[in-house]
Amino acid sequence: MRRTFAQSLALYATVAFTLIMILFPVYWLLVTALSTTDELYRLPPTFWPNDPQWDIFARVWAAKPILMWLWNSMLAAVGSVALSMLVSVSAGYALSRYSMRGGATMGMFVLTAKMLPATLLVIPLFSIFSSFGLIGSLWTLVLAHSTMIIPFATWMLKGYFDTIPKELEQAAMVDGCSPIGAMIRVVLPIATPGLAATALYAFVLSWADYAYARTFLVNSPDNWTANLGITTMQGEYVTYWNDISAASVFIALPIIAIYLFLERYLVGGLTAGAEK
Amino acid sequence: MANISIRNVSKSYGALNVLRPFSLEIEDGEFVVLVGPSGCGKSTMLKILAGLEPASEGEIFIGDREVTDLAPGDRDIAMVFQNYALYPHLTVRQNIGFGLKMRGTDKTEIDRRVDDAARILEVTPYLDRKPKELSGGQRQRVALGRAIVRQPQAFLMDEPLSNLDAKLRVHMRAEIGALHKRIGVTTVYVTHDQVEAMTMADRVVIMQGGIIQQIAAPDELFNNPANLFVAGFIGSPGMNFLNAELRDGTVTVFGQQMALPRATSHQGAVVIGLRPEHLVLGDAPVTFSVRPTLIESLGSEKYVYFNVEGARIADGEEGKSKGLIARVSHTGNLPRDEDIRLGFDPDQLYLFDAKTGGRL
Amino acid sequence: MTDTVQPERRKFFDLARPSRQHLLGYILIAPAVLMVAAIIVWPLVLAIDLSFQQVKIPRLGGASRPFSISNYVWLFSSPEFWLACWVTLKLVIVVTVGSVAVGLSTALLVNNRFKGRTAARLGMALPWAVPEIIAVVIFAWMFDTSFGLFGWLAIQLGFTDQMIPWVSSSTAAFWAVAITMVWKGFPFVSIMCLAGLQSIPADYYAAAKVDGAGVWQRFRWITMPLLMPVLGVTLVLTLLWVFRDFSIIKVLTGGGPLRSTQTLSIMTYDQAFQYHNFGRAAAVGVLTLVICIIASLLMLGRRSKSIY
Repeated sequence: MRRTFAQSLALYATVAFTLIMILFPVYWLLVTALSTTDELYRLPPTFWPNDPQWDIFARVWAAKPILMWLWNSMLAAVGSVALSMLVSVSAGYALSRYSMRGGATMGMFVLTAKMLPATLLVIPLFSIFSSFGLIGSLWTLVLAHSTMIIPFATWMLKGYFDTIPKELEQAAMVDGCSPIGAMIRVVLPIATPGLAATALYAFVLSWADYAYARTFLVNSPDNWTANLGITTMQGEYVTYWNDISAASVFIALPIIAIYLFLERYLVGGLTAGAEK
Repeated sequence: MANISIRNVSKSYGALNVLRPFSLEIEDGEFVVLVGPSGCGKSTMLKILAGLEPASEGEIFIGDREVTDLAPGDRDIAMVFQNYALYPHLTVRQNIGFGLKMRGTDKTEIDRRVDDAARILEVTPYLDRKPKELSGGQRQRVALGRAIVRQPQAFLMDEPLSNLDAKLRVHMRAEIGALHKRIGVTTVYVTHDQVEAMTMADRVVIMQGGIIQQIAAPDELFNNPANLFVAGFIGSPGMNFLNAELRDGTVTVFGQQMALPRATSHQGAVVIGLRPEHLVLGDAPVTFSVRPTLIESLGSEKYVYFNVEGARIADGEEGKSKGLIARVSHTGNLPRDEDIRLGFDPDQLYLFDAKTGGRL
Repeated sequence: MTDTVQPERRKFFDLARPSRQHLLGYILIAPAVLMVAAIIVWPLVLAIDLSFQQVKIPRLGGASRPFSISNYVWLFSSPEFWLACWVTLKLVIVVTVGSVAVGLSTALLVNNRFKGRTAARLGMALPWAVPEIIAVVIFAWMFDTSFGLFGWLAIQLGFTDQMIPWVSSSTAAFWAVAITMVWKGFPFVSIMCLAGLQSIPADYYAAAKVDGAGVWQRFRWITMPLLMPVLGVTLVLTLLWVFRDFSIIKVLTGGGPLRSTQTLSIMTYDQAFQYHNFGRAAAVGVLTLVICIIASLLMLGRRSKSIY
């Protein structure tokens, strides 16, 4: 459909305007990080610092244990994703291939799990973890994040497995595989993109958690995850916005990088599961 | 290769019965086709034969071994699927050799046998490609290669040609026929296409609603159908049917009363069957006049559609029927708006009981 | 000519046998069932149990208090609870409507073909990738009472005479939270809607154009109806997200000022970890869950299966 010049102009203008509006806050984060404190505490705000403090990043990195925070987030994420994927891949496969009594109950459960607020589950989990003496350990997050990941991953993987024809396993079984052999040698290799997408999304889910981290780890600074660490930079009375912004850039970078480079997988997984 | 013995195999899902007790003895090297409309139970029977579904009752023997509850991989069979079921992440060579690899055959032997199979099926140029790079026909040949390479006792084929276009289907039909002649392995072939059944089979098993209707060689099926369903299913275009009353050995059809060639003491409602190709233009022992509703010309043949009182629509064809059909040899122009004289020989009529559908 | 027949499997438990094939399903799903039972179902049951006890800080394995509905009684008669319900309702409506509006619009925008479309698409959904906490850092500074950008903008645009006390004004705080949530929430809607839009076959639009339909008519009669299922699911998921959210509200305003941004979710948390009354907290939490379930069932009705 050919557009007139005016239509094209309108389109590009709208797109540009929308992009600016949406991405401005991210840009502002960078601006804030690079500003001196004097410049921050002034109106009107400057849209690009007069004297960008590029060394703020090195300073904040040295002043705050950002690497440790990122590492803890990574540990929790890897742990919970690994555990959840193991469980969810099997369950998703089973739900896809076998009609079982209670298939409907599984569905109801997935639905309820999506509605379960972390603020509710954190309460009994706190009791449970206290009695096991786990409070303060990253293992609490491995388990807590799994409560978020497993229902979602099972649902997503089931949808993905549904797209792989059953005849492939049948052919493999006639060729001499056991049912598990067929799953491992034939289905899983083909499902790798779907598995990757699910794992990626699960990783993002785990990284995003704050409620569980705050509740279980608040008194163990060595185990603080990235989200938790950042909030501690919010002072009671005074917050050094340039410092916290610089630290935020470090924290936001991994997920934004994952998003930009692997968006295809992430979105594909999300939408494939959704539109059935 | 070996014979296959199916004894009283049936299958139900809870209260739903999809396969009534099915018994069949297949000779070593025989090519048997299971044919019937969707849902008739033919695919279920094949899956049970393969071990991909458990039978509710009955036994299966391949050769002298009872295989009823054996794993598919232990039955020494190979299967070809409608959608080829080629492993997309493996090359053609790996696809064909997969079964041998699962059985621990050593590499040189695998390579030798894969090369042999590829040669027979003319897929050698594609050995290092992935299935998605091949056309439908090529994929199907790879699937066949995967089946023959293991030299099993039996081949099972589940509508392997249904996904191919018409011309390719004709070609592959001949290829499978030639392959069977060359290798001679017992084959059980499932299809919904009666043409495939007629052209490829040594014997045909027609099924409907989970029940076997008739087991016979193709010609026998054509000439001596056991019931209304078989008569209407085999042959294209399908047999014409007319409702009539049988009284004292005579019926009235096309407005004329005639005696039937075969003596029968049956009285009452019957269905008369007459194949379109048994109708001729012009002179014949019995003739009648009709105004055609439609004439389709195929060059040297014509299909003449007409309506007659008492015409009966065959099972499963509701809504598709255009009336009775005569298939006549005729070249040139046939005037459409005039009455036509058609004729037939009463010896070629089939008679079926209107209530049971059985042949009289 | 025949291959050597494999010796019959020695394994007693041969899952490849037709009669046993279905067992694999149960075996594969067992770990998930067990895990879910342990970390979701059991804690949930515990929570429900807690809600019926008058308990401050429970000890697992300790003697449980007698069954009592006093928590629920307190809950229904507490103005704080009803305020939280009201706040939650307001927030849910505002954020959901906002997210859907912005999300759908951006999806429609990016659905056109133009140079740089991929970059535009990535850029527009970028807020999804920004962790909620970071979004709070950004917006908290932009909403800063003394030097925040938004306050300055409001004055420049003539909306107000002086800097808005975002954190001490109830209304302002509510809108601060709402805006932040919309910024974080709309990309999800955008992504899903874009996928939905792209799955509408072009033939439909072609047929409509042949029938003489204009842009608006095509939108109303083809795009919207075909997009409805996706939109419906996305709407419910966004709604549930607002219900559940903790990070944004807690860190931005803490629930204040004067509980003007305290949703049911925040209240649940505070009852447990600020006021140390687990029984009441559990009651609020359980009730919130029930409300969520009812709300989504109402919204999806017979199509609730579409969420899974």
